[in-house]
Amino acid sequence: MSLNRYESQVREPLVEGSKDYHQITEDICRPVEATPSKLWWVGFIISVGLLIFGVVSIYMDVTYGIGQWNLNKTVGWGWDITNFVWWVGIGHAGTLISAILLLFRQGWRTGVNRAAEAMTIFAVMCAGQFPIWHMGRVWNAFFVAPYPNTRGPLWVNFNSPLLWDVFAISTYFTVSLLFWYCGLLPDLASLRDRAKLKWRKFFYGVASFGWTGSTKHWQRHEALSLVLAGLATPLVLSVHTIVSFDFATSVIPGWHTTIFPPYFVAGAVFSGFAMVQTLLLITRKVLNLEEYITMEHIDVMNKVIVLTGSIVGIAYLTELFIAWYSHVEYEWFAFRENRVNLNSPYGWAYYLMMGCNVLSPQIFWFRKMRRNLLVTFFMSILVNIGMWFERFVIIVTSIYRDYLPSSWSTYYTPTIWEIGFYMGTFGLFFTCYFLFSKFFPVIAMAEIKHILKRSGDSFKENMEKDENETLESFEHANAHH
Amino acid sequence: MSTSTTEKFIPAKRYNTIAVALMVIGVIAAISLFVTTGGEGNHDNRARFWASLLQNSVYFLLVVNAAMFFMCATTLAWGGWQIGFTRVTEAIASCVPVIGVIALAILLALCFGDHHTIYHWTDAEHVAHDPVLEHKSGFLSKGFFAIVTVLTVVLWSFLGWKMRQLSLKTDEGDIVSTLERKKKFVWNNTVMAALYIVVFALTVMSSIPWLWVMSIDAHWYSTMFSWYNFASTFVAGLSLIALYVVFLKNNGYLPSVNKEHLHDLGKFIFAFSIFWTYLWFAQFMLIWYANIPEETIYFKPRAEGIYSAIFWMMLIINFVAPLLIFMSKDSKRNYTIVTVVSVLVIFGHWLDYFQMVFPAVSPDKVPMILFDMGIGLGFIGIIMYVTGKTLSKYPLTARNHPFVKEAVIHHT
Amino acid sequence: MAIKKFITGNFYDEAVLFPAVKKVRRAGYKVHDVYTPFPIHGLDKELGMKDTDLHIAGFIYGITGTTTAISFIGWALALDWQINFGGKPFFSLPAWIPIMFELTVLFSAVGMVLTFCWLCQLAPFVKKDHFNPRSTDDTFVMAIECTDKTNEEEAIAFLKNAGAQDVQAQSRETGWWFGRYDRETVQFGKKVAAV
Repeated sequence: MSLNRYESQVREPLVEGSKDYHQITEDICRPVEATPSKLWWVGFIISVGLLIFGVVSIYMDVTYGIGQWNLNKTVGWGWDITNFVWWVGIGHAGTLISAILLLFRQGWRTGVNRAAEAMTIFAVMCAGQFPIWHMGRVWNAFFVAPYPNTRGPLWVNFNSPLLWDVFAISTYFTVSLLFWYCGLLPDLASLRDRAKLKWRKFFYGVASFGWTGSTKHWQRHEALSLVLAGLATPLVLSVHTIVSFDFATSVIPGWHTTIFPPYFVAGAVFSGFAMVQTLLLITRKVLNLEEYITMEHIDVMNKVIVLTGSIVGIAYLTELFIAWYSHVEYEWFAFRENRVNLNSPYGWAYYLMMGCNVLSPQIFWFRKMRRNLLVTFFMSILVNIGMWFERFVIIVTSIYRDYLPSSWSTYYTPTIWEIGFYMGTFGLFFTCYFLFSKFFPVIAMAEIKHILKRSGDSFKENMEKDENETLESFEHANAHH
Repeated sequence: MSTSTTEKFIPAKRYNTIAVALMVIGVIAAISLFVTTGGEGNHDNRARFWASLLQNSVYFLLVVNAAMFFMCATTLAWGGWQIGFTRVTEAIASCVPVIGVIALAILLALCFGDHHTIYHWTDAEHVAHDPVLEHKSGFLSKGFFAIVTVLTVVLWSFLGWKMRQLSLKTDEGDIVSTLERKKKFVWNNTVMAALYIVVFALTVMSSIPWLWVMSIDAHWYSTMFSWYNFASTFVAGLSLIALYVVFLKNNGYLPSVNKEHLHDLGKFIFAFSIFWTYLWFAQFMLIWYANIPEETIYFKPRAEGIYSAIFWMMLIINFVAPLLIFMSKDSKRNYTIVTVVSVLVIFGHWLDYFQMVFPAVSPDKVPMILFDMGIGLGFIGIIMYVTGKTLSKYPLTARNHPFVKEAVIHHT
Repeated sequence: MAIKKFITGNFYDEAVLFPAVKKVRRAGYKVHDVYTPFPIHGLDKELGMKDTDLHIAGFIYGITGTTTAISFIGWALALDWQINFGGKPFFSLPAWIPIMFELTVLFSAVGMVLTFCWLCQLAPFVKKDHFNPRSTDDTFVMAIECTDKTNEEEAIAFLKNAGAQDVQAQSRETGWWFGRYDRETVQFGKKVAAV
């Protein structure tokens, strides 16, 4: 038994204001139970509009074929795969926050994990669209499943990284969804038990699976969360690793390099956190949740951004250095002429990537900048632009100049339908997020209540006595062995 | 537990005797290796002697330096639980200057000495006939190697000393007497740790393993190499910390540390063993898959040649053993099991360094590993001696550290 | 299942709840359950519950996944229909590790969640009685099961004495049934009010 709720007063509170358990329920359920604001409707309608644009673009692709895109002789993977990798990357922060930070016991994750996990799931849904529709004859998509067939049976190529991707992305989606939903059950039960309207009682009654809050159930729930976190941690690493294998197993200069797996993961976490910042800065403002998603949360996430940004920076330089060091002329050409050379067709993209991902996040070394909402918001967008260009640089600059100069491509630019498809996934993403923020609690209530007496503002003020006690008497009073 | 939190470690006579005995074994092993590999014009044999020194000094330097990394990383993350045994981490990190100087001497001797069979690129004549090495001579040059190596060891030692000084200052209590001062202290500590991490990123995570280890196979290259070296030595460093925590607990020290803390250390060892395997797999599989001769040549003698037994054995020790043993909660809380796994892991990664260094130095036959183990024991003796000495100088608990009470009530 | 009689009491502070649980159990009452809005560490031990073995189930599901992956891929590529992919051996273990890993995680996670739902009887349209709707908000609700020997009034007084508030006797269904939370349910011929 541990009733001690001490935490160093050096740490800033994670829940501001004087809250009790009931107040937390009220604050977090309020946006769900109120009618949506005008702002919500505006955002929602714009999102649905974008989604429709996407649907039309996909309709064009399916009806007329992938020829609707500007892919050419050597650039067989263009915007489509760039967008895929970009979205998958964004889909990493949620599981990182909920799983890895759970294992590392970072208390601040409680304020942001629910929204981040939801974001993860939506981002993976968006990512999945790209390989699916890129198939062209999408009605044959089931060919990727290893089922007994009349073609031999000719099995799918289990040695292909593209097939690994099918397994990785679908497993990741499934596990993230399960993890997220298990965490939601108690909160949905709270909403059910508070519900006044008939449809709410029905909806949250069905959705909460009959959760009661029994101690035995909580015990199992805790054990389940811990093991799922333990499983999700290597899983989240594996997903972007396998995405990086799509490139790194090849022998294409600029793609084949052994650092790709961890470097892709770091980049994914980087962009994912940036997207979490973008969403949460808006969410906390619109839903009045500033007391739960505090400056401290934003500060810490900015630290993660500068850390992962710098790791990515080290990886960029490592790649560049080894390209020279290896003395493989094709590798070095890909870097020197297709990327670093500012006058080459895509040189600007390389520097844009470096500027957004490596240089600009360095301002987060300063506390003032980490705690500046405007700077944070601006940076969060900038980082995701940079991370989009990272994928673009990796994919397009490696293949637009083939080994054979006669097949060097002309400058690749997307058509309206490629852009439309990308915009459409924004529509899908935000439509889902708007619906989520309307119908589900965006902060994990049960988890906030769990840390309240340790990290709540009003409770921390009363820790004066513990704080000033000598170690011996504190130990005497609190040691549990 | 009756021991007080101001208590210092008093090494038992046996402890120091063992440390000195190990050092003697190391010296004997080195001397006998030197003697048996001697002989006129026998470069290959002499290289075998130097390679052993190189492998051991670099490995153990990176391991004790990993303790420093653990300290700084947890400081940056504002961790509380590890403060209970932070003096142990600090003491292990205090070996950095000592082993650093030894490694420095060996590395500079290799660089400027006449033993080109380890670092081929130091041989000007050879480089002139080797276009690949000539191309690399901007990086693989004696001057650059020496400057970076010296600078690295000095910076690690200096920043480690600074971090330790900061921690020791809290014992007087003055600089953490009020909340404001505590915040200031945590801030200073964070800044220092961040500085170290930057240096760490530029050395262990990039340039140092390239220069010290990868350049033995001077033609070969892998972008993953440095991160792989980091993971390897970090797990070993964590295991070393765990060993000392168990040792001190068994001798009745460290009253604020209990099985909860050991459990978390065990989780770290478990997790980073898997992380190491992940990096190992990524590097191996990508090279295997792409099958480019310039790259696969590295794994040829290791995975399929005469070194294959060591290569696969170290994979089992470093991955399968921690995975299976540390999967259960109880084993991470059991002193004996933690000790066994820690020793295994430290040995396993030592083997990893063995197979990184030797296939290029001794391609025709696997050298007699007992000599290298003997020299390794010598380094362990040095670590024991220096760590014991540091532990005996200062209180074992950082009793006034702002987060120490969180460590006391820590539970998993 | 069956409808039974319970004595319930509300708590609002963990510091009151823990001693109360101890007292009630020591006095020989049978604590049916304690309903809380969030997990309280140590309460399961205090109630004398054993640790859950859910993680062991997870391990078994996991190795089932690994085995499934390697045996199926091995059979398909090395035995059933051999194809030369890039000159690699038919039995290309390194290339199969990603899928082996994914299936391990997938089997383990899905299996564990299903097991969890099974053990806790959680599913859409499942309905259960719990004693106080505020127990998913801010109240810790302790329910003592009345047996033949229980003296109701004594138990109520005892629970009040232990620090509980709003102590009362309630008759409730102990099991689950299919139902909707927006409707009252006719349960074994008796009308049960919607919670």
